[in-house]
Amino acid sequence: MKNICALIALEWGRLLKRPSVRLIFFLTVCSPAFGLFLYCPATADTMLSKYLANPALAGGAIGGILFGLLTIRERGREKRCGVNTLIDGIIPPSSMAFIRTAALFLTAFPVLLGTMAFWLPVSRFLIGSVFDIRDFLLSYVLFMGSAIFLAVLASASAFQIGGRADLALALFGIFAGLSLTLWSENWQLCWLNPCVWALSDDFSNLRIFRSAAYMRLTWAAGLAGLWLLSCPAVRRRRRIPFLSKIPSQAGTGFSVRRQVLRPAAALILFLISACAWAGQPFVDHSNPDQSISAFDQIPLEQGLTCSRRLVRLSPDTKRGTVTGTAVYQFQNTSGKPRTAAFGINPGYTIFSARVNGVPVPASVRDYQEFNEALLEVTLPGDSQMELTLEYGGFPREDQSLSTMQGSAEISGEYLYLANADLAPRLINAEPDSGVLPVTVEITLPEHMTVIPFGSPQAEIISQNPGGTLTWQYEDEGTGGILYAGDYIRQDIEAAGITVEFYYGRNHETVMEEAGAANAIRAVIQYCTDHYGPLSFLSGNTLKLIQSRVSGGGYAGGGASLLDEADFTIASLRDTSKGSVPGEVMIHELVHQWWGLSSMFEADGAWSAEGLTVYTTYRIVKELYGAEYAERRYVDQWKREMEDYYSNFYVRNPEFFQRLPEAKRLEITNRLSRVRQYCEMPLKILKAEQLAGGETAMDQILSRLFCREPSWEEPYLTYEMFLNACGLTEEDINLE
Amino acid sequence: MEILMKHVSLTYPGGRQALKDISLTLRSPGLIGLLGPNGAGKSTLMKLLTASLLPSSGTILADGQPLEVCERRLKSCLGCLPQEFGLFDELTVCQFLDYMAALKGLSGQKDAVGKAISAVRLEEKAKSRISSLSGGQRQRVGIAQALLGESSFLIFDEPTAGLDPEERAQFRNQFSRLAKDRLVLLSTHIIEDIQAVCSQLVVLCRGQILFWGTPEELIRTVSPGNLSEDAVPTGKASADTVPRGNSPLEDAYLTLISREGGR
Repeated sequence: MKNICALIALEWGRLLKRPSVRLIFFLTVCSPAFGLFLYCPATADTMLSKYLANPALAGGAIGGILFGLLTIRERGREKRCGVNTLIDGIIPPSSMAFIRTAALFLTAFPVLLGTMAFWLPVSRFLIGSVFDIRDFLLSYVLFMGSAIFLAVLASASAFQIGGRADLALALFGIFAGLSLTLWSENWQLCWLNPCVWALSDDFSNLRIFRSAAYMRLTWAAGLAGLWLLSCPAVRRRRRIPFLSKIPSQAGTGFSVRRQVLRPAAALILFLISACAWAGQPFVDHSNPDQSISAFDQIPLEQGLTCSRRLVRLSPDTKRGTVTGTAVYQFQNTSGKPRTAAFGINPGYTIFSARVNGVPVPASVRDYQEFNEALLEVTLPGDSQMELTLEYGGFPREDQSLSTMQGSAEISGEYLYLANADLAPRLINAEPDSGVLPVTVEITLPEHMTVIPFGSPQAEIISQNPGGTLTWQYEDEGTGGILYAGDYIRQDIEAAGITVEFYYGRNHETVMEEAGAANAIRAVIQYCTDHYGPLSFLSGNTLKLIQSRVSGGGYAGGGASLLDEADFTIASLRDTSKGSVPGEVMIHELVHQWWGLSSMFEADGAWSAEGLTVYTTYRIVKELYGAEYAERRYVDQWKREMEDYYSNFYVRNPEFFQRLPEAKRLEITNRLSRVRQYCEMPLKILKAEQLAGGETAMDQILSRLFCREPSWEEPYLTYEMFLNACGLTEEDINLE
Repeated sequence: MEILMKHVSLTYPGGRQALKDISLTLRSPGLIGLLGPNGAGKSTLMKLLTASLLPSSGTILADGQPLEVCERRLKSCLGCLPQEFGLFDELTVCQFLDYMAALKGLSGQKDAVGKAISAVRLEEKAKSRISSLSGGQRQRVGIAQALLGESSFLIFDEPTAGLDPEERAQFRNQFSRLAKDRLVLLSTHIIEDIQAVCSQLVVLCRGQILFWGTPEELIRTVSPGNLSEDAVPTGKASADTVPRGNSPLEDAYLTLISREGGR
């Protein structure tokens, strides 16, 4: 072993003297620069996505390819110049293959360290106050370093399989090319360029780091197996392990190692890789057809009602797991056994199910949809039952978002649990009294603030040993969304309401500098003045929560969620936008007026987004000027609509019908978004011009906003809007 | 050191049988010459002895242990110069020999390198880059790396190729000196080299051993006067048409080869 280490060091020393290695060293250190300009797979606008994830991913992809080429070049060179014939006479070729591969691994270390040393101050400067050394180290090790190691392993295996540099180059090129193209949308396949779409500035990124590490380890096991299997080929080609005759001499320990142990080890590594592949814990197996909702079709159990639910949660912020107990109060008037159906996160396991303290059968079915698996619990025929479910696990994310993992982050800095992640969601029993009251208790580290989305307020009910607090809040319904994190709360008074503004501690300075509070105040004032006060606030309060990067925000009763990507230093300090930063902040706040609860029923292009986008445009116009608003909004809508009308499938719907279902869904979703976010605002703008201008439209919208929804007309429909404007659909037709 | 080959055959993946049922014992000390025409299987035999190839059938034992088992041990005491080899051109002679000495795990690395350089008389070129060396000098670097350390088993495959006559004579003498206390296997098709120094001789042709013994035995056995009737070549190679060499050993070798060629 000592000898092998000395030989690896010797080979490493020789490699470091090679001019080609020095060139690769230099190019690899420089490669993260491509992530700043050319190769930007992380599309989110957070500082860490732009200035850390992308450079590290570019470094991984380019560095991996460079090291793959280096490996093939070095291995091929030894063969080409014939020096391996001398070395084979000194060291067994398989040992030398190991030494050479290990030396190349070792070469990658100083390259990685050099890259990190060079990019540390650059990243720190570009990212600013939200720079986090842990994120920096993990990004470079997992996104870049591990790509280089896998590339060395893959290219060395390719060389050993064929024994020829040209063949190895072709094999490695195909392997890397697949990762960068066809496999790039499959988070488990893209070995060179992991699917990282965003890194959070203000909160932790452990989930996406775990996912990338898992993918890389899966590949590492498989490639190590391939390397081992290809190793005998260095000496003896076309002798297939297990099929070759094992020499019959006495004391053939070495032969056994070559003939049996090495292939057996390779087989074990392949099995580990395959098991890791199949048993990945990150993404569920939900039905990809999101138009199907089989769980909603489950009929209600006759005579079974639920009067209360109590949920006690203890997330493990170090491991990212959840353990919980959910208690349901059931009434069964049928006198017969009933089967209660629940939706549960597919990553959870039911540890026990008891009714009134007695174990009852519970099973989770394989079928999954919308990130829920179906849990069925057999209840006895008792009239009053208390069902206690103990469950836990690592929550999985929906596979339709497998390339955008990270939302189910659970750490000491951030936590997000929604619906079936909180507790099994009851499907087939009606609430006793219209709504199902629920009490949630959650125990978290004391620096974390618990924020239930919507109206409820969480309160601390106990301080526990070990520096944790137990929070409790009351809510209604079968689901619920819970945020928790290292938040700062700022109360802002505007237009007679109190805005509870929660943002990450990392952003404190930036928020103050950017005057975010003033921005919020201004927007709320504008909407209240133009459309009227919000009527559905919870005690005249509105929660404004900065979430971990999630691709957009949303609003619910008394709460509005703002994606942190719209709160980045760059976004908030963008002086071209004037003194009020963050247009998405405006957009999401406007949703408090347009789009909550049952205000809209989606009907083609008509939805909450049309009026929200239009109002955002009006506010931006007032704040930043007509020219800016025209360029930023109207021109953009027109461009999108031109693209929409020239879309091949829009012009040729007969071909659209011939597409595979998944493709049809993807196109439909994309086009539907364009219609809601661009077509409808343009139509409203046209309606504004026809109705007599902005003031007239403000009055129309104010009337619509303040109207009393009736039983017959619960929704604000497109027809209602047209009638209020005194126009027909044809009048505002864009074509 | 004793190398025992028992019924060793090797067939290449393409189907060509390079060696057929070779049985041979090589014992130290001694300088054993391996003779044969091109394509006879000499280099293949050498590769088998360095475990660069594994036999398709048969056994090779080194000091009683299968070669596969004792490969590392064998290589630790092996000095080898293959027929075709390359060098790291970007290194100097000294650096290259240092690298090879380190690969061999020699303890007195500097001394060993110095001795090897002296042995091949490359002192003047010790600091020169290998890329600047002539063909003969590169061959000497190859010999030097084989001589590194005190290897008890030395294999030289066409070591004097590319050397001038004077250098060839010097190396022959050196091999002879080395063979006093170790096993040296010298593969060549230059009879002169063998005749001068080898204690034993193995003649290979078409993958088979035609002769194994001392040079004198070859001359005695194969000289035209000693050929038995049934050993007289027939066909195109008759006794009258056997090519004539420059020495009795060469005559005997050529006779043996031509007789085999007539079959």
